[in-house]
Amino acid sequence: MRYFALTIIGRDRPGIVSRVTEILYHMGCNIADSSCSILGGQFAMQLIIAHPELVDGDQVQANFAPLEQDNLSVFVRTLKPGGERRPELSGDLCLISVYGSDKPGIVYRVAKELGERNINITDLNTKLIGSEQRPVYVMMLEATLPEGIDVDSLEAILEPVRLELGVDISVRSINPVEL
Amino acid sequence: MAVREVLVYPDPRLKQVCRAVGEFDDEVTQLITDLLDTMYAAGHSVGVAAPQIGSDLRVVVVDVSHSKLGRDDNHGCLVMVNPEILEREGAKVMREGCMSVPDYTGNVTRAEKILVQFIDADGIERVVRARGFEAVAIQHELDHLDGLLFLDRVSSLKTDVFRRKRR
Repeated sequence: MRYFALTIIGRDRPGIVSRVTEILYHMGCNIADSSCSILGGQFAMQLIIAHPELVDGDQVQANFAPLEQDNLSVFVRTLKPGGERRPELSGDLCLISVYGSDKPGIVYRVAKELGERNINITDLNTKLIGSEQRPVYVMMLEATLPEGIDVDSLEAILEPVRLELGVDISVRSINPVEL
Repeated sequence: MAVREVLVYPDPRLKQVCRAVGEFDDEVTQLITDLLDTMYAAGHSVGVAAPQIGSDLRVVVVDVSHSKLGRDDNHGCLVMVNPEILEREGAKVMREGCMSVPDYTGNVTRAEKILVQFIDADGIERVVRARGFEAVAIQHELDHLDGLLFLDRVSSLKTDVFRRKRR
């Protein structure tokens, strides 16, 4: 099996998923992991796909030429062997909410504090809400904490950022419960 | 006593509706022992339902007293035969996982407080009011008796926090 990362984005409308997956089906591709969502007015698809024979990313890309004509942008990345496997994500899982009046640097300042401490962001969503006069920025991110950092210490780490940006930040544990 | 293998989806036995226990015969006694052994052997487990070890009887065991989330509010080790939820109140979202569905978790909304009726290991009718994590665990295990997995109950994708009501 050879794995590829496939990204497709374009103006949202009904039928995008069906067109994309029809092509994948006829190519004989498996969809391993995928996450697709509407972002602004665009529909963005990100998929890890596998094919038993194809090895060349350009060959994969060629199959999507009809989509490009329909104004969907398609990008294919050929994964190195093992690139499809998720690394072991140990450590406590937490959700960080950051929200406040919109201003530059909210994502960067928070991400910088996390990156410097080896806190791994596994999911990140941001959205601009509120009115045009009073825009509010909302960021939700999930991260795994390395040994030695817990929810309380992370909150303390982010306290200076909270004061500097004048935003609200909360951190909570969202470890899955196995039942 | 026996620690049994926990069945993993797509084993069809996980999707069947279980039958009520009639009399407390050897099969039931053995099942209860095996459920408890299997739960405690798994270490992190706070509950096991009969179909997870291949039985089609309405029996579950729950014990959240050793878990961080449940140790302050629980009824210890609960053996529940023919359990039935009489009342539900409130809502609580937890990210659930299940030994029968490895490597996947999802946010599930369940009642925060429940009143549950069952027959215990001694054959005595009991009614218990559970809340918080214990209530969630009981509801999760009882779903197994009706062939439901948490996958049937997932209430939101991760992006759900941004979804808003239509104006």
